[in-house]
Amino acid sequence: MQVYLPIAEMSVDAFLLVGIGFGVGWLSGLFGVGGGFLLTPALLLLGIPAPVAVASGANQVLGASTSGVIAQSRRGNVDWVMGVVLVAGGLFGSIIGIQLFAFLRGAGLVDAVVSIFYVVVLGGVGSLMVMESLRAILRRRADAPARLHQHFWMHGLPFKIRFRKSRLFISVIPPLLVGAGIGLLSAIMGVGGGFMLVPAMIYLLGIPTAVVIGTSLFQVVCVTSAVTIMSAWQLGSVDIVLTLLLLLGGVSGAQFGAQMGGRLRGEETRALLGLLVLAVAAMLFWGLIDTPDHMFTLGPG
Amino acid sequence: MRLVVMLLLLWGTAALAQPEAPLVARLSQDRVEVSTTFDGASILVFGSTAQPIGPGGAEILIVTTGPQQPFTVRRKVRVLGMWFNGPSARFAAVPAFYSVAGTLPAWRLLPEALRSQYHLGLDVLPMASSGARAPQFRAALLSLKQEAGLWQEDSAPVEISANRLFHSRLPLPATIPAGEYTVRVLLVESRRVVAEQVQRFVVERVGTAATIADVSRGQPLLYGVICVALAALAGWLGSIVFRRS
Repeated sequence: MQVYLPIAEMSVDAFLLVGIGFGVGWLSGLFGVGGGFLLTPALLLLGIPAPVAVASGANQVLGASTSGVIAQSRRGNVDWVMGVVLVAGGLFGSIIGIQLFAFLRGAGLVDAVVSIFYVVVLGGVGSLMVMESLRAILRRRADAPARLHQHFWMHGLPFKIRFRKSRLFISVIPPLLVGAGIGLLSAIMGVGGGFMLVPAMIYLLGIPTAVVIGTSLFQVVCVTSAVTIMSAWQLGSVDIVLTLLLLLGGVSGAQFGAQMGGRLRGEETRALLGLLVLAVAAMLFWGLIDTPDHMFTLGPG
Repeated sequence: MRLVVMLLLLWGTAALAQPEAPLVARLSQDRVEVSTTFDGASILVFGSTAQPIGPGGAEILIVTTGPQQPFTVRRKVRVLGMWFNGPSARFAAVPAFYSVAGTLPAWRLLPEALRSQYHLGLDVLPMASSGARAPQFRAALLSLKQEAGLWQEDSAPVEISANRLFHSRLPLPATIPAGEYTVRVLLVESRRVVAEQVQRFVVERVGTAATIADVSRGQPLLYGVICVALAALAGWLGSIVFRRS
């Protein structure tokens, strides 16, 4: 069944979109990630224009994360103070990202730069994941006693705040910077950024794992909302028909994936996820270096 | 069948009314609605002449022009082994849709000066550009537009019946842009334009998709807020409906 996407200005098979949403939702439920980093490349491969794929991807992540943040806040797993600091940074980063995006679109460089961001970020994150999980699998027996967190230069920074729920007394600068970085990626890649935010919160900021998921989901929901509104406002690139079709598949897929994910071991899961991330990066890299069929492109304006 | 009836009706009225009118032309419709399921359409251009047309007589040319829009053509360049959009040429105002057809190709019927004046032929279409100057950009615009079916030259000839009736089908692809279209029908004899008729039709987007596109353009901030609310609501509802534990 062909459906016309009013903002992307093209006809796409509705079942294909629901199917992509389901597949990405299933994988994200399985691995416990938002899935934006799989969704946007899938849309690009489908021929959806990059600005629409990114903005609608961010909008989809927002929808997919809503129920999670509600559930987590009910269980009291959100550090609201930390959340607000991360969101403040995230808003700043996403504003920069949208301006950069608008500039790149004017120069006709959006497609290439979005791909480069994906290749660099996913290539780096994927390699780290695979290496780290392989190392963990190899010395699974040798369990080192974990400390609450390590102290290093970061803890000498000023503007310290007490984050009661996270049992931390640290400067607001690192969480602001982390939030800003994720906000920038969110605006340019159409992701929630959970796959980078969660490790950064655990290893860099030292936030206890119990509140990491809830707090990061809170940041993701707020920042993808901001990215959605700014993309609609400044770029006119949010396709709500596309978003809703993807969500229809995504929400159902995530439930199946989560059910199955409980049966996988942590290290194996992370190694698999790392390989998946690397595969997406490799595919987009090929798109960048492969000689194009048409040497000229035609665009409006 | 519909075509024959229309032609007969037209012939009848033309014959009864003003016998001195050298050229009468009409369109099968003056409105094309582009809905969510639109996958192209065609308009019939038809009419009659006072004098005989076809071999040995006068000839008919039909040129259709859509709304003027700006377009940018970019050439890919290789930097560090990767392909980027490089130099570009901007065409400030070229027709988003253009079609020329005739009982014979326009270049066989009229001198180039007249063809330029009436924009008869892709080679005489005014395409002022800024930016990169190389002729390949103009050639690329021509070939990309033709591939998309948005610029057509003699894709289907104008058919003649009974020496005084003519008709031609104007195919409109699924990607036809909304706006006002002008259909100019010319009667040509001895390398001169002896009569001319102008008809117009409108391409309009209708239905939910058109409403969404309108809100997104007219009220972008409100549209963004609605997108956030709808996605959050859909995600929340979906998680309740599909809950499996």
